[in-house]
Amino acid sequence: MDDLLSEFVAETREMLDALESEIVAWEQAPEDKARLDAIFRFVHTVKGNCGFFDLPRLAKLSHAAESALAEVRAGRRQPDTALVDAVLAVIDRIVAMVDVLEAGEDYPEGGDDALMAALEPSNDDGGEAAALRAQSATSGQASSTNRDGPRSIRLPVELLDRVMSGVSDMVLARNELARRLREYGVEPTIDGPFERLSAVLDDVRDGVTRMRMQRIEHLFNAFPRLVRDLSAELGKQVLIDVEGGEVELDREMVEMIRDPLTHIIRNAVDHGFETPAERIAASKREIGLLHISARQSGNRILIAISDDGRGIDTGRLADKAVASKVASPAEIAAMSETEKLALIFEPGISTAAAVTSISGRGVGMDVVRANIERVGGSIDVTSTPGKGTRILLSLPLTLSIIPALTIECCGQRYAIPRSYIEEIIHSRSGSAQLAQIGDAWLATIRGERIRCLTLAAVFGIDRQSSPKGATLILVRLAGGDFFALAVDRVLDHEELVIKPLAPAVMATGIYAGTSLLDDGSPVLMLDMAGIARKHDLISDVQRRVRRELPGLAQIASAEEGVPVLLFTGLDNRRRAVRLDVVNRVDKVEPTAVTLTDDGARIVLEDKVFPLAGVNRGAVPESRFPILRLSDGKGELAYAVQAIADSARIDGDISPAARAGEIEGIALVGGTPVEVLDCHWLFAREMRGSAALQPATCRFDGDDPWLDTILRPLAESAGYRVVSDDAQHADVVITTDSTASEAEGPDNRIRIVSDPDIAGQVAGTIYRYDRAGLLAALAQARMGRVA
Amino acid sequence: MSELLLLARIAGRRVAFPALDVNSVVEIDALTPVPGAPAFVSGLAALRSRALTVIDSAKALELEQATTGLEAIVAEHDGHLYALQVEAVEDVAEALSEPQEVRGSLGSGWERAARGMVESAAGPVLLLDAAAIVAGPAHSVQRAA
Repeated sequence: MDDLLSEFVAETREMLDALESEIVAWEQAPEDKARLDAIFRFVHTVKGNCGFFDLPRLAKLSHAAESALAEVRAGRRQPDTALVDAVLAVIDRIVAMVDVLEAGEDYPEGGDDALMAALEPSNDDGGEAAALRAQSATSGQASSTNRDGPRSIRLPVELLDRVMSGVSDMVLARNELARRLREYGVEPTIDGPFERLSAVLDDVRDGVTRMRMQRIEHLFNAFPRLVRDLSAELGKQVLIDVEGGEVELDREMVEMIRDPLTHIIRNAVDHGFETPAERIAASKREIGLLHISARQSGNRILIAISDDGRGIDTGRLADKAVASKVASPAEIAAMSETEKLALIFEPGISTAAAVTSISGRGVGMDVVRANIERVGGSIDVTSTPGKGTRILLSLPLTLSIIPALTIECCGQRYAIPRSYIEEIIHSRSGSAQLAQIGDAWLATIRGERIRCLTLAAVFGIDRQSSPKGATLILVRLAGGDFFALAVDRVLDHEELVIKPLAPAVMATGIYAGTSLLDDGSPVLMLDMAGIARKHDLISDVQRRVRRELPGLAQIASAEEGVPVLLFTGLDNRRRAVRLDVVNRVDKVEPTAVTLTDDGARIVLEDKVFPLAGVNRGAVPESRFPILRLSDGKGELAYAVQAIADSARIDGDISPAARAGEIEGIALVGGTPVEVLDCHWLFAREMRGSAALQPATCRFDGDDPWLDTILRPLAESAGYRVVSDDAQHADVVITTDSTASEAEGPDNRIRIVSDPDIAGQVAGTIYRYDRAGLLAALAQARMGRVA
Repeated sequence: MSELLLLARIAGRRVAFPALDVNSVVEIDALTPVPGAPAFVSGLAALRSRALTVIDSAKALELEQATTGLEAIVAEHDGHLYALQVEAVEDVAEALSEPQEVRGSLGSGWERAARGMVESAAGPVLLLDAAAIVAGPAHSVQRAA
């Protein structure tokens, strides 16, 4: 039987048990107001609950009883014995029906009309009602004797919590005992029983954890009603579509996300959807669609709430942010669309133009985000103007037990949730190369450059600490971003019972909770998302997330068309580029750009790339975003002013009149945008450039440093290293031991091992002056191209 | 007056906590430091299967030097257990008067945490509010907000 239905049955029974004595008492004294109220409440609740299920007979019966009793309560009718009998007959029938319902059968047809007729005031034949009652009661009895099916009891959640924390403590005590047993090496006769105890305890813990799980339906089921009431009040038409109600979640978690979800839905109905007239004007269906879906992914639950309303007006958000001094106009100007969208989570910002009774009362999305993050979740919002908004919540499965990895840093132990850990790499193993860029470290892992933080620096214990020789933990954030965290040592995998931390500790933004280890000492759980946020490692465009979540219905998912990324070019024109060629989006400093006669170049993570898009406008003066486009082999960068969003092209692309940067014009969300011709871009930018034919580099001399240390650097800068002296090389690198100044200095880079000499003798570079070396290599290659 | 007080010493001064606010008195032997936390948070310690946030009372009262003693007063605030480190826990005594306002300045940290002065068998003592100590110095609260 359906979970919810069984809950309905259980609840109805529970109320009936409580009502039993009231019914008898009411029969004796029909004028008793308190008793009347109790019975009225019962039929009223049954009627309300029936609305959720398809139980028209129960609903009808309880409605009839409710109306009759309402008359009595209003003093318009006297509670005579006929009425009492009729009401009691209805209650008996409800009992009988509920019993049959639980058994999963259908109640025999007929008889309802007679019962309802007995409730009518015109009916003064008390005897008939009484007879009906007797009949109904006997049939009820008959059905209750063959009552079977799964038996269930209702328990207070506090009791479950107590059992849960007791079991958690037992696990800790078991672990401590296990450690002592290992230490003292007791007799094998103890080992057997201990193992058994341990296994049983694990079973019990599993059971208790499951006991706390609840289907998310329990939460979702209230939403259709909420949406109906809200949309009626606001004069809007909204259809709600709920999916994934069978996903199970910790009871406590269900409670914790109830308010945030309700708030998001209120917001969507109030601000997200247009009125039917506005929707028709915007050539949309007049009925808005609100889609709510839940899905389990590993040990996270993903809940998406998407609407096809008007989307979030980032311009107005930005104005509000300026008005409420959350951000300065200059900061706003530098923000991408996504960053502006993220303003919605800032305190004191609400998009509502007017404060309504539904939303916009000051508690805003900042509170929602705080509540979601408090339970270890994250929230993301994406919006397309005119098309709709999607809010994605990612939540842990349970509040309490988290699989974790314990690590050591600066002599202390810390825990990291295992869900964040992609890989553990020993920096000495050679699978990760580390390089220092300014004060930051970069790790190159299988060709990908990843920001590397040292935990000691995160803690502020040693800001200059180097990740060299440390163990790197490759962390994957919910948004799909990666970073590497250097720690001293990885200790163990453990299942930790996470408890909340005091506010003063939470305020650091580094920790998510605490737990007790086997030996009873506390360990801090690191908040990976918090650390990444603190160090600005979360990228603006969450493209990867969207790609990996095809199960979650997107607003545009039902539509056909080529997926594109919308952006604003440096010339302020709206353009689109096929999403498939966009490798990633980066933000760069204007100083990384070099303008040459042959076009612009940009230095990204030690490599020189062609930079397109700058011929249409000046290079911005502050950090600006670039699109990194890839054709599978080569890569080029495209400078833009701001990233808007991803979208799909409606229909075909109408080709441009002549070949050029623009492939043609396409419609995105009804407005025309220019689509970049990636083939043309690559064909132009790669022509004769280093990417087409790698430049060659020869090391002059047999200093092993050249081959072991310098070679990877030269290769990463786009050079092919040749060893044959006779072969032509675009650049020759010599060390001071083989100095021969007679040769032409134009293609020669001299490297010295003494920084003082590098400073005094022109044309020499200190061997560890990485930036200088890269610049020289880039310049030499540029010279070859020109 | 029959209110019971726990008498302790913080930075050489005798103070009192309402006994009702105090869960227990413990000795902190092993501290797990919390890097990045405000200075008045000494670290975490375990009490049975619960984690205690250990607060240096002297630093929370904006005093210069740290508390040296091992003893700490365990108090619960907002669902979290805290251990307030004090120089020494002295005695339990009955309050002989209602808390009275003290004229003149006590120093900002003391003023924030003090509920007033009470008479006890051991003489006048400053009655402190554990919740105010747990909140820490005013500037760190602002930083947290």
